Amino acid sequence: MANFIIDAKKEMTYDAIVIGSGISGGWAAKELCENGLKTLVLERGRIVEHVTDYPTMTLDPWDTELRGSLTPEQKARHPKGIRSGFIGANNEHFHANDVENPYTEVKPFLWVRAHQMGGRSLLWGKQCYRWSDLDFEANLKDGHGVDWPIRYKDIAPWYTHVEKFAGISGEALGLPQLPDSHFLPPMELNCVEKHVKERIEKEYNGRNMIIGRVAHLTEPLNGRGKCQFRNRCDRGCPYGAYFSSNAVTLPAANATGNLTIRPFSIVQSIIYDETTGKASGVRIIDSETSEMLEYQAKIIFCNASTLSTTQILMNSTSDRFPNGLGNDSGELGHNLMDHTYRVGAMGKVEGFDDQYYKGRRPNGIYIPRYYNLDEQTKTDRFVRGFGFQGSGGRAGWGAGSNQENFGGEFKDSLMKPGPWEFFITGFAECLPNHENKVYLNKEVLDKWGQPTLSIDAEWGENELAMNKVIREDAKEMLERAGLQDIMDFDNEHEMGYGIHEMGTARMGRDPKTSVLNGNNQVHGAKNVFVTDGACMTSSSCVNPSLTYMALTARAANFAVSELKKNNL
Amino acid sequence: MNRRNALRRTALLAGSAVATPTLLSLLQSCKEQKRVDWVPQFLNQDQAVFLASFVDTILPRTETPGALDVKVDIFMDLMYAKAYDQSAQEYVKAEIDKFNAACKDEYGSVFADLSEEDKTAVLKKAEAETAKFNPGVWGTAVGEQKPVAFYRQLKSMALWAYFSSEEVGKNILSYDPIPGEYLGCIPLSDVGNTWSL
Repeated sequence: MANFIIDAKKEMTYDAIVIGSGISGGWAAKELCENGLKTLVLERGRIVEHVTDYPTMTLDPWDTELRGSLTPEQKARHPKGIRSGFIGANNEHFHANDVENPYTEVKPFLWVRAHQMGGRSLLWGKQCYRWSDLDFEANLKDGHGVDWPIRYKDIAPWYTHVEKFAGISGEALGLPQLPDSHFLPPMELNCVEKHVKERIEKEYNGRNMIIGRVAHLTEPLNGRGKCQFRNRCDRGCPYGAYFSSNAVTLPAANATGNLTIRPFSIVQSIIYDETTGKASGVRIIDSETSEMLEYQAKIIFCNASTLSTTQILMNSTSDRFPNGLGNDSGELGHNLMDHTYRVGAMGKVEGFDDQYYKGRRPNGIYIPRYYNLDEQTKTDRFVRGFGFQGSGGRAGWGAGSNQENFGGEFKDSLMKPGPWEFFITGFAECLPNHENKVYLNKEVLDKWGQPTLSIDAEWGENELAMNKVIREDAKEMLERAGLQDIMDFDNEHEMGYGIHEMGTARMGRDPKTSVLNGNNQVHGAKNVFVTDGACMTSSSCVNPSLTYMALTARAANFAVSELKKNNL
Repeated sequence: MNRRNALRRTALLAGSAVATPTLLSLLQSCKEQKRVDWVPQFLNQDQAVFLASFVDTILPRTETPGALDVKVDIFMDLMYAKAYDQSAQEYVKAEIDKFNAACKDEYGSVFADLSEEDKTAVLKKAEAETAKFNPGVWGTAVGEQKPVAFYRQLKSMALWAYFSSEEVGKNILSYDPIPGEYLGCIPLSDVGNTWSL
């Protein structure tokens, strides 16, 4: 594919500017370009062409000198990100350099970043779940945060719109708390997962265990191939089988002839025009030359990722907005959310020793939320709820490390698969809390001399109460499902480990308490749209990316119609 | 267990027994010194000899190749040289030396020179007393991980080096780089050995 137009210098004025090319930026680019707008996508990192720039996509362990291990030099680039456990030699080139891009942890916070075309859409977990009105009404009902300015009916058609193009596999169940998507065929559960599902659903009225709903093609779609079950997604997929900006939205935007993508472009600020009351463009720093440039456009989409978008807005000061663009409310930078992570249980399953599976499925199981759905499921231990992800599989040779054994028979025994194991780990909704915040730090500057972010956030009582119940419930479910050697755990991870940062420029009904309106427009600068995770008013307990896609497509199409009406 | 044994046991695991270099070299000079037939990038000859003997005891040749057949020791030396930072490198060298010193203290010679019976005794003791690795989920361990002594780290790395070698990964384990489909329930007999990837 491709041949992206990357020479943006000749043309300084566009119809639209999109800041960032990750999951939401890719969607903004596609929708705006397909509606005929000349669109400039500003990407702070390098170009990553689909397939061509996936150097590790087919490597087996023995194909590289250190078999996928990081060198000390590689580790030194990721002193923070390495905590995630996700960085290896085969994807290190897709993780941002923590040294060049420092941030300050006022309280411990893991901020995983990806600075290249496609951003974290190359690395994401791909779990896709629609939100329901249980989520959109939650703030209004229990009084935490402010009311969402939209409801499920406002976003439902946009979920369908993005799902049809992205390709989401899963099983329709008709659960009110987890609305069905437009689905491609579901992936299969393995023997043990089917067994555990049966037991849990029999033991507990109203609990379901389903195959994960994921942005992987189980049938070819629009020239993209179906998943080959290699599970090497985070190196880039040669088949384009999982959704990424690189494989899906940016090529579509490019096909219109309306896209220019400028790499190495760090957006320093958005330029606010006091006379028109709108933004007139953006100021960027070329990361290679350190040159400062300005680009103009009629509309600006902020899709730099939750915290980076907020950082740009905070850095965009003017007489009208001395505390950051759109920050009349004082809420910019506040109400940072994530999902709790790594609390659950695992155990062994007996009776399936003659069974195995084929393929490395990039997906697991999902147990949808089952608390506080209605009067019957209400608990007084916490508000909102949580869901579980997990999977079953047979232990491999790695189990030998712990076996009190060695020698020839030991070695040969490890050639055969070990016991079946099964685990679940919870993801709890995080309440919006004004005290969980980020702010500009002018003492710590990045490689380009720009202020950085200080992050000051921690779990509240409600999240910790949920983690306790997650652990208890996980253990109990596995016990009642008949598992052996059950181990329950809570790693007590700080915020950020969920890699679901949300909030800090929330949508709302009232400009006095929110940064964005119901169409993702910045209050007081209506031609600036924020449609990445920064816009989120609450966090639900399900993975957020699908909702970013839908909100972005909705806002982009709204922006186009407003432009046509000369309202922007 | 008497106190003397308890001390020895602790010494072996924590590697706190120290034989002075002078004493070691004196003893070594009394008989022919073993050498490896490859040039270590990181370990010294004594340490390389230890490693070769260690991985050969953990994963000896049977009907399938042994650790030395697939160059587990050479690969581990390379890993120490290129994937370890300085403090981790120093730790490895110190721990190997301590392990050998403890063997010498308790059994009279370094690990590689012990009889098969004594090697087995040393490793059995280490197995019984070394903390286990916690299981992991998605790249990180779960629960509170107790410090894992050098013995199990070394064994774990030897297993990885063995099973991730091309010979074992491609020709002995079930190798399927592009499965093309996911089948959740099939007879194990259709696959045979565990999947390599």
